[in-house]
Amino acid sequence: MISSAQNAVRRNLDCPPLVVLSLFILLLFATSGTSGQSVNSGGSPTTLDEAVQQLADRVAGIPNLRGPLRVQYFQEAPFAAETGKDWEESFRKGLEKSRLAVTDDAGANLLRVGLAETPTEVVLSAGIRLNEKEEVRFVTVTRTAFALPNAAVSPVRVEQQLVYQSTERILDAVFATDDAGAGLVILADRAAGLAVARVDGAGEVKQTVSLAGAGARASRDNDGELAVHANDVEAVIGGKACHFTWAAGQDVACHSVKVVRRGATVVKPRCGDGSWKLAGEGSDWFSPDLLQVVPDGSARKGSTALLSDFPGPIVSVSAGGEPNADSALVVTRNLRTGNYEVYKVTLACGN
Amino acid sequence: MRCTRSRWLAGISALAIALTLGMAGWVGATKRPRYGGTLRVQLHVASLSLDPREWKAGSVTAADSERLASLVYERLVTLDEFGRFQAVLATEWSHDGAARNWQFKIRSGVKFSDSSALTAKDVAAALQPLLPAGQTITSSESSVTIHSPRAVPDLLQQLASGRYFVFRAQGGNAPLLGTGPFVLAETTPPTPSEMNPSVLKPARMKFRANEEHWAGRPFLDGVDVTLGDPPLRQILNLQVGRAEVIDIPPDLVRKAHQENLRVWSSPPETLLALRFDDGQPSTQDARLREALDLALDRQTMASVLLQRQAQPAESLLPQWLSGYAFLFGSAMNLDRAKELRAALPANVAGGAEPLRMRVDAVGDLMKLLGERVAINARQGNLSVQLMPHAASGTGATGPAGLHLFAWHYDSLSPRVQLEEMAQYLRAEAGSEAANESTNPEKLFADEQRLLGTRQMLPLVALPEYVGLASNVRNWSVAPSGEWRLADVWLDSGEAAASNGDSSGGRNGAQGVHP
Repeated sequence: MISSAQNAVRRNLDCPPLVVLSLFILLLFATSGTSGQSVNSGGSPTTLDEAVQQLADRVAGIPNLRGPLRVQYFQEAPFAAETGKDWEESFRKGLEKSRLAVTDDAGANLLRVGLAETPTEVVLSAGIRLNEKEEVRFVTVTRTAFALPNAAVSPVRVEQQLVYQSTERILDAVFATDDAGAGLVILADRAAGLAVARVDGAGEVKQTVSLAGAGARASRDNDGELAVHANDVEAVIGGKACHFTWAAGQDVACHSVKVVRRGATVVKPRCGDGSWKLAGEGSDWFSPDLLQVVPDGSARKGSTALLSDFPGPIVSVSAGGEPNADSALVVTRNLRTGNYEVYKVTLACGN
Repeated sequence: MRCTRSRWLAGISALAIALTLGMAGWVGATKRPRYGGTLRVQLHVASLSLDPREWKAGSVTAADSERLASLVYERLVTLDEFGRFQAVLATEWSHDGAARNWQFKIRSGVKFSDSSALTAKDVAAALQPLLPAGQTITSSESSVTIHSPRAVPDLLQQLASGRYFVFRAQGGNAPLLGTGPFVLAETTPPTPSEMNPSVLKPARMKFRANEEHWAGRPFLDGVDVTLGDPPLRQILNLQVGRAEVIDIPPDLVRKAHQENLRVWSSPPETLLALRFDDGQPSTQDARLREALDLALDRQTMASVLLQRQAQPAESLLPQWLSGYAFLFGSAMNLDRAKELRAALPANVAGGAEPLRMRVDAVGDLMKLLGERVAINARQGNLSVQLMPHAASGTGATGPAGLHLFAWHYDSLSPRVQLEEMAQYLRAEAGSEAANESTNPEKLFADEQRLLGTRQMLPLVALPEYVGLASNVRNWSVAPSGEWRLADVWLDSGEAAASNGDSSGGRNGAQGVHP
C-alpha cells in the first residue's frame, strides 16, 4: 500500500483540475434529495452525502431503537459555513427511510448528531441513551478521500473563470501560444522539484518538463515567472533563467540572470478604448485577496478601481502571450482547499 | 452585441465595486514578501529545552519548547490545514498491509546547520529514542523503516506532531544540530541585572536564518526570543514596538482586546483538569468523586473566571481532535452531589477532613481556578483545601488527594493522545486504551471508560493566545501548534494591517489573517 506524498494529496499536476471541496459538497446536497441510489453501508464513504446516509443507516440499526426521535445537531461554526444545513435534512430523510420518525416533542428520545472536522478526518457521530446505556455510532471520512466531481472547469463566467487547479504549488501561469492552440502553461513546484507543464483547454496536462535536473530551485517567496513565445519557453526563478522548447522535451538549459520582474499586467477590453492594469492588493499568504483593476495611466491616488474577490492570496497575474489581451491569468491559493487555482480574468463588456 | 461606452460602463459597474483607493503602495503587481529584519518574540515561560528527548507528554513547557524547536529541527512529514500530509525530510512513504512497517525515503541534499549532509542513519538515531516502547527504526542508504509490533495506521499523525523531530546529537553539552530554517546562534541564561542584582534579566535565545535551507532561506534574518518576561510587560512591549510576537495568558486577553492589540487564538490546546491521587485513601470512593464532579460549575469557570477565553471541558480529548467530544456531558447537579455526600461517612476526606488539593504552578490562573473548585465543592457540602505550593505532595498538612494540573495536547493522533493521558492517570481502565485501533467507536468507548472512573475530572480547555505586531505578515500555525516562522516576514510599509482581533482556530479563515 502506497501512501507517499504524491498519493496523499488528492490530485497532482498530471490529473484533471478540481473544483473546490465546498462547492462540491454543496453540489452533492443539491442532488441528494432526489437520489434513489442505494447506499452500501459496509463500504467506505467517499462523499459527505454517503457518509450521512451511512450514519442514518447505522443509527437505524441500533437494537431496540424506536421513534419518534428528537434530533439535536452539533456542528462547529466555521465548518458549518461550508456545509450549510442540508446534511441535517439529508440525515432526517435517511432516518425516515428506515421508518424512524423525527419530532420536536421534548419528551421524545434525544438523538445527538454531530458533524466535525478533525485535522485528518470528517467525523459524523450520533449518540442516544437507551435503557441506561449510551449507544454511539460513527462514520468517518478521511478529508483527503472525498471524491471529486467530473466537471472540473467551472462554467464560463463573465469576469472570472476557473481554468485549472492543483494541489501542487503553482508559481505562475501564462497563456499558451504554441501550435497546439488554446491552453496555458504553468510553472509548478512539485515534491520532485520545479516543473513547467502545458495544459490544454480542457484542463488536461499534456506535457511536463522538469527543471530540477538543470539546477533550478524554487525560493520561498513564490517568485517565479514564465514567458512563452510560440514553442519557446523561458522560466525565470531563483536568479536563473531556464530555456527549452516543447519539441526538445527535457533538454533544459539554465543560466544565471539578473531578475527583472514582469511589468504591470495590462488588458484591453474588446469594447472601449482604454487599458486597465491588474494587480493583487494583498500582502499576506493567509488572507483572501482582491484583484484591483485600475485604468492604465490614471493618477495613482484616488483612481477609480474595480475589485474582484479571490478565495486566497494572489500569487501571480499575467497576460503574457494572450493574443487578444482582453484576458489575464491569475494564480491564487484557495484558503479553504489548499489548492492552487488558475483563473482566467476577462474584462467583460455590458452585462 | 455592439457596446457603447455608456453601456460598457454600466456593465462594468454592475460587476464590481467602484471605489476610491489609497494607492500609495501601488506597484502594479502583487506585493512580494520582504526579506530581512529580526522578529522579537517574548514568552512568559522562564526556561525551556530544545532537546526533544527531555520533553514529557502533556507538558505545557514542552509545548513552548516544541514551538521554538520547530525553528531549528524538522520532521519527516507535516500535516497541513487541509488534512494532507506534506513531505518534509521524507519525500515518499509507504507501509505494508498491516500498517506495522512504514518506509520513508529521505530527501537528498538536506544539510545540518554545520553543513554536513543529513543521512538516513541520522534520522534513525534521532527518532529511535523518541519512539514509543516497542517501535524500532532501521536505516538503509536513503530510507528508514519504522517497525511496530502492532498496527499503527496513525503513524503519520504521530510523526507530524509532538517530539518527533530529526536532529543530530554532537555529544557532551553541545546543542543538537538541526536542518530547520533557522540556526540557534546564541543562548543567554538569566543574569542578575547591573542596576539591581537581586533582579534577574530574562534568558534570551537568538536564532539566525539558515541560508542553505533546502526549502529556501526564511524571510527573516533572525528571531530573538526573550523568556520569562511578565505578561503585562510583554503587552506593554508589544504596544510600544519592543516586540512583534508575545504569548498572552487567557486572563489577559480581554485587556489585550481593550488595548486594541492584534490577537491570534488557536483551538483549545490545554486542558485544565483535576486528578484524584492516592494521597488520601477516601478519594478512591466512587461516590466522593461523582459528588465533586456534579458540584463543579464548568460553565462559570469558563465564562466568568476566564472571561469567555476558555471552553468548559467535559471530555478528555477536545472536539477538534476527536470530533465527538460533544457527546460527553455531565451537567452540574448540586442536589445529587449533596445526596451522594450525605451517603458517605462523615469522616472521609471532603467531610470532616478536607480534601487536600495541590495546584501546578502555572501562574495565578491555576490558583484562581483551584479556589473556584473549592467554592463549588463547598456548595456540594464537600470540603476542599488548597495546599500552599511549597507543601505540595507531602507537606505538613499531609499528602494531597486531589491535583489540579494542566495538560497540553501534543499529538495529532487521538489514539496516541488518549494513551498518553491514560498512562498519566495510571488508570486500570486506561490499559485498554493502549490498543492499535483508530476506530472512533473504540476510541470513544475507551475515553468513556476513562471518564467513567472519574479519576480525572476535566474542567476547562484553553486556547493559545498570541499578540502580534501590525507589521507581522504571513502568520500561520500548523495543526500541530507549531508557528511557521520561516514564512513570516515584517512589513516595513506604512500600510501595515490595522490591529484587531482574529480568533477561533489555526486553520483557513480562522486565526490572524490580516
